[in-house]
Amino acid sequence: MLDIKGLHKHYGKVIALDEVDLQVHKGETVVIMGPSGCGKSTLIRCVNRLTEPDGGAIYFNGQNVLGLNSVELQGLRRNMGFVFQQFNLIARLTILENVMFHLVLGGMDRDEAIVLAKEALAKVGLESTWERRPHELSGGQQQRVGIARALVTNPELMLWDEPTASLDPILVGEVLEVMEDLVKNTGTTMVIVTHEVSFALRVAQRVVFMDQGRIVEEGSPQKVLENPQSEIAQLYKKLLAS
Amino acid sequence: MLSFFRDGFYQDLLILLIVTIIVGAVFSQGIAWAIDTYFGDTLDGMIGEYGEYDLVLHIRDEAKEAALRELERIGDQSFPGYKLNQTLTIAGQANFFFGLPAEFRTKEVLESITSYFGAVPGLNGYTLMVEPSVLIRGVHPSVRQELREQLEDLPGVKFTVRDGANLVIVLDSEDSVPQVTKQVQSLLKQYQILELRFPMGFEVDTQLVGDQALAILANQLGAKNRYENVTSAEYGEDLDAFLKTLVEMRDFLTSYASKVLITPDPQVRLAVGERILFAEPSDSKEEIIVEVTGVFGELIEGMIVQGQPVQSTDKLVQSGYRYLGDGSLGEYVGEVTIENERYRLAYAIDESLRLLEELEELAVQASEAVANGEAVLTTFQEALMQLEVLQVQMHQLNEGIAQGDSKASGEQFLVSLLLNGLFQTLAQAAIKTGEGSLDSLQNLDIEEMRQSLLGISEQIANVQAIDVAAIIQQIGFVRDTLPDLRDEEIGQSIRLINTYLGGQVIPGERIQILVRGSHLDEKELETLFRSELDNPYLHTYSTSVGMVNPDARGEIFRILKEVRSIVAGMLSIIFTLVVLVLDHATIFSTLKFLRSCEKPIKRRFLRIFDPLFLLGGVVGSIILTSVYYLSRAQIPLVTLPVVLLLGFGLGVLVVVFAERFSPVHSMEVMAGQSLGLSNVQIMREVVIPPSRPGLMNLLNRWKQQF
Repeated sequence: MLDIKGLHKHYGKVIALDEVDLQVHKGETVVIMGPSGCGKSTLIRCVNRLTEPDGGAIYFNGQNVLGLNSVELQGLRRNMGFVFQQFNLIARLTILENVMFHLVLGGMDRDEAIVLAKEALAKVGLESTWERRPHELSGGQQQRVGIARALVTNPELMLWDEPTASLDPILVGEVLEVMEDLVKNTGTTMVIVTHEVSFALRVAQRVVFMDQGRIVEEGSPQKVLENPQSEIAQLYKKLLAS
Repeated sequence: MLSFFRDGFYQDLLILLIVTIIVGAVFSQGIAWAIDTYFGDTLDGMIGEYGEYDLVLHIRDEAKEAALRELERIGDQSFPGYKLNQTLTIAGQANFFFGLPAEFRTKEVLESITSYFGAVPGLNGYTLMVEPSVLIRGVHPSVRQELREQLEDLPGVKFTVRDGANLVIVLDSEDSVPQVTKQVQSLLKQYQILELRFPMGFEVDTQLVGDQALAILANQLGAKNRYENVTSAEYGEDLDAFLKTLVEMRDFLTSYASKVLITPDPQVRLAVGERILFAEPSDSKEEIIVEVTGVFGELIEGMIVQGQPVQSTDKLVQSGYRYLGDGSLGEYVGEVTIENERYRLAYAIDESLRLLEELEELAVQASEAVANGEAVLTTFQEALMQLEVLQVQMHQLNEGIAQGDSKASGEQFLVSLLLNGLFQTLAQAAIKTGEGSLDSLQNLDIEEMRQSLLGISEQIANVQAIDVAAIIQQIGFVRDTLPDLRDEEIGQSIRLINTYLGGQVIPGERIQILVRGSHLDEKELETLFRSELDNPYLHTYSTSVGMVNPDARGEIFRILKEVRSIVAGMLSIIFTLVVLVLDHATIFSTLKFLRSCEKPIKRRFLRIFDPLFLLGGVVGSIILTSVYYLSRAQIPLVTLPVVLLLGFGLGVLVVVFAERFSPVHSMEVMAGQSLGLSNVQIMREVVIPPSRPGLMNLLNRWKQQF
């Protein structure tokens, strides 16, 4: 479904992605892990071209993502849900509007959009906060709104960019619960960037370990997380264990 | 960057630009018009409407109430239907506008303003402001009458009024102003005043030299009747007086200063301007430097330019040494003699004062001596008479003795012998002094002596009648008021006066020639006059016989119009800056953010010449230039290229600081991108609604769905 070949990206002299190859199959849940600054977020942002890679190729359902014009790219993005670390909600809109506004702007009837938005919010456990503004919600609730917004279009691919990194430990649980539920019940293909090892062990079908812009190890969660081969993954395991 | 606009936002931007330009032009023009109208109305309120008033009377502020009553009285009596308005008081001077009824707006009345209003309390003067009119300032007296006749023949001219050196041309209607102004200017061009100015110090016989100049012009250029000597002594009298005073002052200072004579050594040559150190005796504390002012063969004159010689009425003679520029001493140059008439004058005054005091005392003593002399004479005369009686008695006694008179006693005989002895002694003394006999005593003219003493007494009384005290006081005053100047101060002052008088070409004497017809080139004539009059220092100038003055009201309104244009220009610039900051900074900061997500620009040219700066510059130029010209703005020295550049600069400036002026919510934009929104949707729904309130925000509300 998603085929990344030789992806390259640098910021000035810093190499963020160094010839990365990755394939993700339909319905698969891939968890990308690694130390901070290893290129995890850059990798998934390049997938929907929120960040433009310098080189390489990305194919989504056989379509060359890097060759798309702006209109085609917009269509592609509608088919890829993206959950941000900082939630990225529109501050001036209500919760319901945040979830439905892109549906309406995409041409959907407003009432139909409202129904879909409410369903999406219900899926993440938010049935009664529709008219509130984002700043009136807790961080966990805001992230669940972000998830609902990504889900409402029923995308083929969900990209998660450290969705719990901005939350305190108490709120992390509620978001991970929602995510786990979605992974198990929707069957959507998911690429998740996270540091949550236990979560990865529970939900990932494959774990990809990155370091310095390269994939250093990948395989089943047990293999990569419990019996790592690469030095960085071993060090990472030790640090997490301690 | 262009792709950002391609999906529809270019339409929004275009509409925004058009609306911005229209609003900007209306705003700038509107405010400027309001200012213009306000000041225009204020001005009308102050000086009345066109033609409403004819003169402004300037009255001292403290007398304005009395003046108002008097003006009302004059108005009621002489100009029924008049208009009067008191306006601004400026610098302690109140101004009254006085409007004459139409039937009194005549040449006779306007030329007799002083006779009507001269007695108004506190009147400082007046200004004619008859409208419609054209004013010629500084009309040369030689052509005034001639001009008036010609001007009054012009179509549209009602009459002319002389107002001091000015000429007011009163017109039939306001519409005639441009046409008459043109004709007046053309008329004035037919005259030219050619002025020959001689440098200071030339005593010019203006009639003689003027005639010579006329002859030169006639010989060289022909048409003798074109030229007329109109030299007027009224010009430059003050300057003449000033320069004469300066010359007198210089002469006074020269005579007041110490005289310096240098007797040079035979081998030494001195030149004017050289400095010599006067080696004064050691009791002098300061150096005396003398500057050579004249070399006349062996006689060299100088002037003290530094130091002060000791106070002495005697000549001071000392050796002189050349004083070099660096302050060091050169060789011996000769003997330097300094004489100070100033000190001698002071000495003479002091001596005079002493003399006067002595004279007063002398007169008193002489008066007493004369009185004593008179008493001595009286005593002498009485003694002489007694001696005569005694002499007669002695003669009788002698005769009695000689005739053997029995009555004569022995005592009488003894007295007779003694007296005979006395008279013989007196007779011998008289013989020794050349007198013939004792009778000479009787010959003394006592009365004449008395008369002489009386004459002396009268003269002494006359001397005593003189008010010596007053003379002493005045001489003392003269002594005290003598300038207390040091020689170096005098020397420096003389040098300064000489520089002023000699070094500068100050208009001293001048000759004015009226030239009729075509204009002559004064520079060419200068060469001619210098050669023909054998004076290389004279200068030739050309002046007009009068200057058309712009209509005061028209001038004020023209200034107001300029102010309006400048205000509009300033507002255009401010408006453009505000619009760029409120609206376009949002677009620029969004573009900057989007570009940061793209691939880095590889072309070096584009990295240096950022297209975003170009966009900002173009937007700034378009807005400012359009608003500037639509609002009819005009700032002096700000031409079209300057406006374009200024707009460009403002645009670039706003691009540079776009994130500070209007920070974009990058996470919201990124969310919009990830949800598949187009750029125009991101702008309308995500970026613009929370941006700064402005035209873009306002216009966006019609398109915004959430």
